[in-house]
Amino acid sequence: MSDNYIKFEIVTPERVVLKEEISQITVPTKMGEITVLPNHIPLVSSLLPGVIHAKKKNGQDEIMSISGGFLEVLKDKVVILADTAERAEELDLAKVEEAHRRAAELKEKARRGENIDFTEVNAAIERELARTKAIKRWRKIKNLE
Amino acid sequence: MASSRDIKNRIKSIGNTKKITRAMEMVAAVKMRKAVAAALKTRTYANLSWLTVLNLSRAGNGNHQILHRLLTPRKEIKKVGIILITSNRGLCGGFNTAIINKVYESIKKYQSMGEQAVIEAEFVLIGKKGVAIHQRGHKIMADFPKLDLASEVKEVVPVANLVIHEYLNGQYDKVLVAYTDFISSAKQIPRVKQILPIEIEQADEYLGIVGQDSRLGIDKEFIQDKEEKHLPSGKFNYEYVFEPSPAEVLNELLPRLIEIQLYQALLESNASEHSARLAAMHQATQAAGDMVGELTLSFNKARQAGITAEIAEISAGANALL
Repeated sequence: MSDNYIKFEIVTPERVVLKEEISQITVPTKMGEITVLPNHIPLVSSLLPGVIHAKKKNGQDEIMSISGGFLEVLKDKVVILADTAERAEELDLAKVEEAHRRAAELKEKARRGENIDFTEVNAAIERELARTKAIKRWRKIKNLE
Repeated sequence: MASSRDIKNRIKSIGNTKKITRAMEMVAAVKMRKAVAAALKTRTYANLSWLTVLNLSRAGNGNHQILHRLLTPRKEIKKVGIILITSNRGLCGGFNTAIINKVYESIKKYQSMGEQAVIEAEFVLIGKKGVAIHQRGHKIMADFPKLDLASEVKEVVPVANLVIHEYLNGQYDKVLVAYTDFISSAKQIPRVKQILPIEIEQADEYLGIVGQDSRLGIDKEFIQDKEEKHLPSGKFNYEYVFEPSPAEVLNELLPRLIEIQLYQALLESNASEHSARLAAMHQATQAAGDMVGELTLSFNKARQAGITAEIAEISAGANALL
């Protein structure tokens, strides 16, 4: 039954976030959200900030947030090169919301003409939003189980 | 013979120097540990992104089309951009001299090899001590500040953007990065590595030692596995689907790859710098210790000589009275 699983690895410049065998994975690409199942055609795609949902070999779900990067699908492997990524388990909702609030404040300041890099602030907001979403999705799944 | 007071003063001052070098040694040790850890963490990412580009460019070769301008080598090399990574501060042994000499040598080698008489080299500096290259008659194009401990890829993005831009608009026909590769805390090797154009055939050289050996417990089995299974003998055997399109994906991925390679070079350099400083300071501390020992000996000799002289005087005086 090894055909029904894909080797999956998600790495950031700082660390290897997760390395597991999975049965399917859903990722937010530039062309919309896609789900990769075993025996997928080789694919390379760039990713948007959002939530990654993987089903592990043991049937458990794994939720991760990502702030952008690349997806490479090979014959029986999926590699994600992420700019930043976290597993939902590792995230703390209060902290994330705090970071989100700060980023939003910065954005306001930037709009009022203060010398702040607008694109960077936007990226930070999207990153925090993705994290929030990941945590919420994670909680939902946990409650349903 | 120096007076015993002079010797005493010297002992004191050398003792102080020793204290300073010992403190610097300890600081360097802490920084080195951090820098090494940072360098190791990036390796997996650097390797995987390199392999992705490798796959992509092979896909391109299969279709007999060239996918991206950053991947195509130029026929004529007139001007080379060199990114030189040095330290901000001195007192790190031969660290900076070694890398600058290496750069100088490789320029010479290039020039003697090429058909064209002169290949111009221009420098982009990271770290303060790189200015020394200017004394050897090379032009400096930009000078970027460097933090002692790099922690984010963001720090090299401006450098990467600059060289990519200059490469694409034809200023440079080749871009190299000169850095010091961290082999172990006792061994660092200065290296000059090509980063633009990205040449696929010589992948190993460009990745440097990154992932090539297991000296520091790199998790490389995944990468090896991938290479064996998916890149059999360098042939590309299936088609890729690109989303949104090959050009768009490569446009994002290639600059990213260059950033990562630069970042990796910077981290390796930092790790090397701190371990070079650690070694230099360790030696300095030991030398100071030896010197204090020697001086103490001559101090004791001088003291003893003084006493002997005094006794001789006294007994001579006593003899005179008798």
